[in-house]
Amino acid sequence: MEKQYMLEVKNLVKHFPVSGNKHAVVHAVEDVSFRVEKGKIFGLVGESGCGKSTCARTIIRIYQPTAGNIIVDGEDVSYKKNRELQALRRKMQMIFQDPYASLNARMTVHDIIAEPLRAHKVASSRQEVSERVYDMLDKVGLSHEHANRYAHEFSGGQRQRIGVARALVIEPEIVICDEPISALDVSIQAQVVNLLKDFQYERGLTYLFIAHDLSMVRYVSDEIGVMYLGQLVEICAAAEIYEHPLHPYTKGLLAAIPIPVPKLARQKVVSSIEGDIPSPISPPPGCHFHTRCPYAKPICREQEPELRDMGGGHQVACHLY
Amino acid sequence: MNEMMRQSLPDYQIQTPDPWAALPVNAESREKLWSKSRTFVGDVWFRFRSKFTSIFGFILIVLVLLFALVGPYFATFTYSEQNLDFVNTPPVFRAINCSGGYFYITDKLKVLEIDAQGHLVGKVESIAEDYEKKQVTLSYQGGEIIMDYSQSPYTMLDENGERIEEAKHIWNRTYLLGSDNLGRDMLARLMFGARVSLLVAVVAALTNLVIGVLFGSISAYCGGMVDAVMMRIVDVINTVPLTLYVILIMVVLDAGLLSIILALGTVYWVNMARVVRGEILSLKERDFVLASRTLGSSTATILFRHLIPNAMGPILVTLTMLIPSAIFMEAFLSFIGLGLTAPLASLGTMCNDALATLRTSPYQLFEPALLICILMFGFNFVGDGLRDALDPKLKK
Amino acid sequence: MAMETERKDAAAILSVEHLSTSFFTSNGRVNAVRDVSFSLRQGEMLGIVGESGSGKTVSSLSILQLLGGSGRITDGKIIFDGTDLVSAPKKQLRNVRGARIAMVFQDPMSSLNPLMPVGKQIGEMIKTHQPKIKADELRSEVLRLLGLVHIPEPEKRYHSYPHEFSGGMRQRVMIAIALACKPDVLIADEPTTALDVTIQDQILKLLRSLRDEFQTSVIFITHDLGVVAELCSRVIVMYGGKIMEEALVDDLYENPAHPYTMGLLASVPNVAQDKQKRLQSIPGSPPDMIRPPAGCPFAPRCSYARNICGAQEAPRIQVGESHFSRCWLWVPEAPAENNPFRKAGGEA
Repeated sequence: MEKQYMLEVKNLVKHFPVSGNKHAVVHAVEDVSFRVEKGKIFGLVGESGCGKSTCARTIIRIYQPTAGNIIVDGEDVSYKKNRELQALRRKMQMIFQDPYASLNARMTVHDIIAEPLRAHKVASSRQEVSERVYDMLDKVGLSHEHANRYAHEFSGGQRQRIGVARALVIEPEIVICDEPISALDVSIQAQVVNLLKDFQYERGLTYLFIAHDLSMVRYVSDEIGVMYLGQLVEICAAAEIYEHPLHPYTKGLLAAIPIPVPKLARQKVVSSIEGDIPSPISPPPGCHFHTRCPYAKPICREQEPELRDMGGGHQVACHLY
Repeated sequence: MNEMMRQSLPDYQIQTPDPWAALPVNAESREKLWSKSRTFVGDVWFRFRSKFTSIFGFILIVLVLLFALVGPYFATFTYSEQNLDFVNTPPVFRAINCSGGYFYITDKLKVLEIDAQGHLVGKVESIAEDYEKKQVTLSYQGGEIIMDYSQSPYTMLDENGERIEEAKHIWNRTYLLGSDNLGRDMLARLMFGARVSLLVAVVAALTNLVIGVLFGSISAYCGGMVDAVMMRIVDVINTVPLTLYVILIMVVLDAGLLSIILALGTVYWVNMARVVRGEILSLKERDFVLASRTLGSSTATILFRHLIPNAMGPILVTLTMLIPSAIFMEAFLSFIGLGLTAPLASLGTMCNDALATLRTSPYQLFEPALLICILMFGFNFVGDGLRDALDPKLKK
Repeated sequence: MAMETERKDAAAILSVEHLSTSFFTSNGRVNAVRDVSFSLRQGEMLGIVGESGSGKTVSSLSILQLLGGSGRITDGKIIFDGTDLVSAPKKQLRNVRGARIAMVFQDPMSSLNPLMPVGKQIGEMIKTHQPKIKADELRSEVLRLLGLVHIPEPEKRYHSYPHEFSGGMRQRVMIAIALACKPDVLIADEPTTALDVTIQDQILKLLRSLRDEFQTSVIFITHDLGVVAELCSRVIVMYGGKIMEEALVDDLYENPAHPYTMGLLASVPNVAQDKQKRLQSIPGSPPDMIRPPAGCPFAPRCSYARNICGAQEAPRIQVGESHFSRCWLWVPEAPAENNPFRKAGGEA
C-alpha cells in the first residue's frame, strides 16, 4: 500500500518584516519541507528562535506563508482566505504551549470547550453541545462540575487538559501540538503526554509534535525533524536520532541534555555547542550552523547544504556527508 | 543499616485510628478545586469592597442618585415654582422676636414673618418709611411694628422704641436649603440639577461604551488601512475644542440640554476609542485569541466573546474616570451660558445664577458647588477603586 | 567518596531552622513554606528541587528577605555566620545581601538596568561594597569578572547595553555581578530555566568551574532533575512547602526514599524508554497552598497513601547515611504490604 500523507509541507518560507527597517526581514522559516504520514507523529525539535513555532502557526494558517505550499489531506491550503479556511480548521486543530495564556479567563470551561462546536455548527442543539462537552471532560479526566468554573481557577496541568479537550472536541484529523508540555511541571508532563497518546491510539490521529525536549519527543514521535535557524537540518526515525545522529547540531543538542543519572552525568565527555545562535535577521551565509560547528570546512561558509537522503529515510543537510 | 535507623528514629506518635489502611482517594478528590468559585464580577467586587474609599465613593453616588430620582416625590415645591415674596431666603434665619411674632429681614429690607418652627408665613406690608431715621413702619396683625436699618445688623424696634439686639437662629422649614433670587426652592432645583448631571453621566457612559468601544476595537482588530483611517478620524475630532462644537451645534439647534448632550455624544468617546484600541492591539496577539482563530470562530465571536470582555477592565476604569469630566464639562458649559435655559436648572446654571447675589446669599453658590464636588469625588473614588480591583498586577 | 565525606564534615555556613513563610493575599493566607530546615556546608553545591508552588523559590528569597510587600517570615531562624538574619537589623542585612550572599535570578533581563552599560552595572556592585576603590582598579576588576564568566572580548562588551546581549550572555553578566563581591554563598534561582539546552549546558559548565575554582557554596534551585544530577552534590526535594527528601545526589537517584521522588524520576522518559509503554505519571494536581492538605502534602496523589498520611505529618526519618525522608512508610510499624521501602530492605 502506498503511504498516505496527512500533511505535506513543501519549501515553506515565512519572513516577517522588521519594524523600522524596510529592507530587513526576519527569516523565521526558510525552505522547510517535510511530510507526515497519516496516523503518525512527527516531532519537530530545535531551540527557541529556530522557527518551529512559526512553522506550526503558518501550517495552521494563523500566518500567511511567504512562499511554498501546505497540503493537508491532499488539499492545498497555502493561500486560502478567511472563509475558505473553515474546512481546514475542522480538520486541523492546535494545542498551545502556555495553558495560562491560551484559555480565555472570562469564559467558563463549558464555553471554552463548546466554542469550536458552535463555530462549526456541529451540534444541532444546545443539549447536544453540552453532551459532547461533558463527554470530552470525562475523557480528559475532569469532572462535570468543573464545567461551570473559570479557567483561571485550575492548575496548569488541568488547564492544558482543557486545551486538549477544546482542540479534540470537533474530532480533527491532525493536531498541531506547539510545545504542549514545556510550560508544565515535571509530574504533570507525563499526564498530558499519556492523554495525547491515548487519543492518538483511539482515533488514529496525526500529530505534529513540537518541543525542545528531545527525550520527550523521542518517546512521543515516530519521526523527528531537527530545526536550526529556520531550516530543517535532519529528519529521521525517532530511534535513529539517539543511535545515529548525523548532523553536528543534532549531536550537540543531544550532548547538552542534562542526564538525570548522576553517575552518567559526571562521565559525560561529549562537548556541547559553543557560542550563541546567530540573529535570524541576517543568518550566516552557507550552512547556518557553520559559526558554531566544530567540523566546519571552507565549503560550509559558502554553499548551503541540501537535505539529502542517507538511506532509510534518514535525511541530513550537511557537507560532511 | 536497619539498626542505625532504629536508633536515630525521631519521636513520633501514631494518633490516627486504623493508621495503615489505604487512604481513600479517588480521581474526583484529586482533581477537586478547593478555591471558592468566583466569577470575574464577584472577584472584582470582592477586591473593590475591601477598599474604604471606593465603597465611600460608591455610597456617595448612590445617595446622589436617590436624591435626584426619588427626592422630587418628597419635595414640597417643583424646580420652577416661584414665589417672589420669598426671594433669597437663607437656610437659617436670623429671626427677631417682636410683638409676639418672629421676623426675618431680607437683604432687600423686606420683612418676612416666620413662625416659631421656621415656616415662612408671609411678607409683612410696609406702611411708611422714614429715610432720615432709616426706619420702616409695617403693619402687623392690625398693629404697627418698626424695622430699623440704621445700624447693622438690621433689627426691629420694640414698644419702647429700643432696638431688639437679641436674635434667634431658626432653620428655614419652608425652603430647607433656602430659596434663590426668584423665590424658587433650592432643594428642588438641586435635585433637578443632579438629574441633569446624572443624565449627562449616563449619556457619556453610553456613547463611550457603544461608539468608543466599538470604534476602538474594530479599528484595532482590522488593523492596516482601516486602522489608519479610523484613527485619523479620531485625531481630527480630538483637535476641535468641545466648546466650539457646542456653539456650532447651538447655531443649528437651540441652546439647551440637547445640544450639550449631542456635543458630548459626538466627541466624548475619543479617549475611550484610543484606550480600547491599545488594549485590543495587545490582546489580539495573545494565545487565546489565536486559539479562537484556529478553532474557526467568526470575527464577531472573537470581538464580543474574547477581545472586549478581556478589555473590560481598562474600559470600566476609563469610563468611571471620563464620567466626572463629562459632568464637569456640562456644568462648565452651563456656567458660561451655553447650556440649559431657564427655568430648567443644572448645577452649572445654578452656580452662574448665584454669582449676582454672591455677597448676600453665598449659600446659593455653595450648595450646587458642593453637589458637583460630591459627584466628582464619588466617581473618582469609584474609578480609582475599580482600577485597583481590576488591575491584576496590583493583586496581592 | 573521600571528597564527599570531607564536605559533610565541613561546618555549615548557612543554616535554615524551622522556617515558615506566608503570603497574605486577598484570597487568604498562602503558606508557601512550612517548617523547613536545612543547612548549606562550606564549598557545597546544594540542589533544591521542586515543582512550581513547592516553596523552593520562597525559601531562598526568605534567606535574604526579598519577599515583597505581602510575604512575611512567620517563624524560624536563618543562621548565617553566627547571626540570625531574621531578627538582624536592616542595616546588617543590607551588608549581607550582595556582598556575602548573592543571588542569580531566572530572568536576567528584568534584573539588569536596561539604560546602563553592563560594565558600569558590575562596577556599581563592587563600589557599593568597596566605596574607596580607584577608577582604573575598578575597571580592571570588572574586565577580570567579564573574562571569568567567559564573555568574549570583555573590553568591547564593557560598554554594551543589556539588550545587545543574548539570553545566555545576560545570565553570564548576572553571574559576574553576583561574584563581584566574592560572596560566601551564591543562590541561583532557576538560572537556566529560560535558556536553551545548548546555552544551559554552557552556563552549567561555567558554574561548575567557578565552584571548583573558588569553593563558593551554592544553593541551586531548579525543577529539572537532570540539571541537579549534573551539578549538585546534595539534593533537597520540596513539595507543598515542605522538604520531602534530603540526600546525597547518588542516593537520591539510585534509592529514592519518598514516593514523590520516585514518581518524579519515573515520569521523565529516559533513553531506553519503551515507546509502546505509557509513561508513569503522578495523578492529580499540586496542592492549593491556601488550604494545604493535613498530614503529608503528597498524600492525595500518592499511590501508597495510608490513613495516617492524610492526617498526620510524617517525621523526618533517617534512612541512610545523610539520607532523610518524610514518609510514614519508613516507620517500623508500617506494614510491608504495598510498601515500596519494605521489599527492598526486607522485613524489619
